[in-house]
Amino acid sequence: MIKRGEKRGQVTIFIIIAVIIVALAVLIYFVYPKITTSGIETNPTQYIQDCLKGDIETNINKISLQGGSLNPTLYSLYNDEKIEYICYTNEYYQRCVMQQPFLKTHIEEEIKNSISEKTKECFDSLEENYKKKGYEVNLIRNDYSVELLPEKIVTTFDYYLGLTKGSTTNKYEVFKIVLNNNLYELVSISNSILESEARYGDAETTNYMTYYHWLKLEKKAIGDGTKIYILTDRNSENKFQFASRSIVWPAGYGF
Amino acid sequence: MKKENTKKIFFGVFLLITLIGIISAADVSYCCERTTGGAWCMNMDSQSECDTTGGLKAEPTFCESTSYCRMGCCYDSKEGTCSTNTAKKTCENGGGTWSNNADCEIEQCEEGCCIVGETAFWNTLTVCKKYASIYGLEANFRKDISSELQCIISTNLDVKGACVFEENGVKTCKFLTKEECNNIEGTTDSTTTTTSEGSSWLSNLFGNDESEGPSTILSISSTNFYEGFLCSAEQLATNCAKTEKTMCYNEKVYFVDSCGNIANIYDSSKYNDDNYWTKIVKEENSCGYEASDGNANSQTCGNCDYYFGSTCKSYQRGTDKSPKYGDNLCKDLSCKYNGKTYKHGETWCVTNTKVAKLNAPGSEQFRLSCYNGEVLAESCGAGSEGPRNLVCSETEINGYSSAGCVVNKWQDCTAQTEKDDCENEELRDCKWIKTTNSGSLKLTKEYCIPSVAPGFNFWEDTGTCTDFGTSGTITCVVTYVKSILGGKDCDKNCACEYDSWQENMAEVCESLGDCELEVKVGKGEFKEVDA
Repeated sequence: MIKRGEKRGQVTIFIIIAVIIVALAVLIYFVYPKITTSGIETNPTQYIQDCLKGDIETNINKISLQGGSLNPTLYSLYNDEKIEYICYTNEYYQRCVMQQPFLKTHIEEEIKNSISEKTKECFDSLEENYKKKGYEVNLIRNDYSVELLPEKIVTTFDYYLGLTKGSTTNKYEVFKIVLNNNLYELVSISNSILESEARYGDAETTNYMTYYHWLKLEKKAIGDGTKIYILTDRNSENKFQFASRSIVWPAGYGF
Repeated sequence: MKKENTKKIFFGVFLLITLIGIISAADVSYCCERTTGGAWCMNMDSQSECDTTGGLKAEPTFCESTSYCRMGCCYDSKEGTCSTNTAKKTCENGGGTWSNNADCEIEQCEEGCCIVGETAFWNTLTVCKKYASIYGLEANFRKDISSELQCIISTNLDVKGACVFEENGVKTCKFLTKEECNNIEGTTDSTTTTTSEGSSWLSNLFGNDESEGPSTILSISSTNFYEGFLCSAEQLATNCAKTEKTMCYNEKVYFVDSCGNIANIYDSSKYNDDNYWTKIVKEENSCGYEASDGNANSQTCGNCDYYFGSTCKSYQRGTDKSPKYGDNLCKDLSCKYNGKTYKHGETWCVTNTKVAKLNAPGSEQFRLSCYNGEVLAESCGAGSEGPRNLVCSETEINGYSSAGCVVNKWQDCTAQTEKDDCENEELRDCKWIKTTNSGSLKLTKEYCIPSVAPGFNFWEDTGTCTDFGTSGTITCVVTYVKSILGGKDCDKNCACEYDSWQENMAEVCESLGDCELEVKVGKGEFKEVDA
């Protein structure tokens, strides 16, 4: 026969064990997924995407606000930001000379260069993690590219990853990161503006806003004849801005 | 004698050569292939401003005369884009094809209307084909459409209709084009992969593959396409029925059926009309078509029109009127500025000075525009080193304001001596003024001055104001004659001595630029003149 005191003691023990189990379960829920690092065991594509996506987005944003260059060399300062001249002349009354005739390709190259270090880090880390888990890793790093496409930016790594454990081998041949971004459209409109700048020394902003309802186009004066064009997508707030200096009138009588 | 002449000749020749050298040195310009500042193909005053590293060139001539900085058209055959006024070497270094035509008036750069699916834009044929290939669609390049605006609004929408099919034994419908409907025909097995952020702790614990969630097998029977019908049409007997919900589509408000398909344009008076839920009604036959206000803020009609100043947006509680059905309405895109309402698309002029004078130093003119309910400002000084080299010009037609920054043609105003020449608006922007001083002695003078004075960067020591010379000087010679009593009597231009004359001259002076009037009085001498 169990005495009353002993019965209480048994209940207490069970309660304590239950509390411990619940605490362990909560701990596992919050901590264990982080240890497994977003399913690296079975999804290297997701791992690379998570590793690089943030950097790509940050660099795209930076490059877009600086006239398409990561480190502008020929630039104008606007709101303490360096904004590259895409069309420029140092003279009065003269049309500007196109400084970046291949603007889209140039931006793609700049984005690509901006993530080279991080790309190496991410793939190094991927390789190391799999090796630690006992996989035989065969990683062939070919080239990678960034492409501006309508409404998206696609980064494609032509890398080969072979993971072997025991008698099973998984192969991953292409890694792709797709970001929703309409930089393609903004650059396309910028090309049109630049053509007008190079031909006539100016561009009519209201026409573009009439054609493209989602577009907000501003033209800001610097005072030395430079114009800063700021293109903003009203829906996504994506922005692209650049500088131009073309057919500039001197101050006063030009003495 | 001969020796002396020879010496003179040699000296003369030497002097001539030296003079030519000096003049040439003063005029020389260097064409930098790249400047130290990073600019390609600039004429610079000094060779030291040119970057000559890596074989970059710097010739003592103008860029137009060089081969490396000859301007032309650069065509990128890969992207299909053309770049105007581009240097030959810059183009060829980037893999482009350079052409002598600086304005890109070449066949490859000919732009037209590109229609791909439901998208229309203005660009070259190569860009059009490339865009079409991305989506796997056919490119329709229309040269018959002559303007970009006409192109954008001429989007050919493929005929849509009700695409009826059975899905997992249920007769349902999607509102598609015939081609899209055909593409979903047949039985399809698909595995949906889901990656959710909050994956169950169990799957994490046991290491289940996050990237593959539960599989769903879709079984679709053959489809039937009913052109011109809506999915909510009763005779189609689908599981799609009318709802009170609306959504934004192509900037207009549309009714939505229970399957999520768009129906017709929102018209609250037609909600209970079965016909309105059966067949497609074109926008030109819908409520409020081409209403002058674009049905802005209408609680009953969703036929918005961007060009008339409205677009579909979800309504804001407390700010907008609630639509009778759904949560969307035609939002008014007009703007309020200084107590006045401007329509979407209107542009107008303002100046940054509250002073009445347009020529106040530092004053600048701006063009404001109203787009999408937002007022945007654009300085007319953009593209100019000084303010007021471009000024804002505004016109109003039927209450609709239109403005633009135009060149201020002030340069030859002061050279005009006739009123008609002065006020010839085609050649110049000047005004003819008569100045007559107050007082007993009248002196009337006429001047041709700029309507809006040019602005100077007077804060810089460029000497623009002080170096006017004769251009900025108005001289009035007052003549006196000796009187019999030994004094002097004013004979000519006596009015110049009055303050009122100086005030009039101040107006003339200020019209020449950001300058102040400075009066200098000189003394003359008495001369004997013939009677």
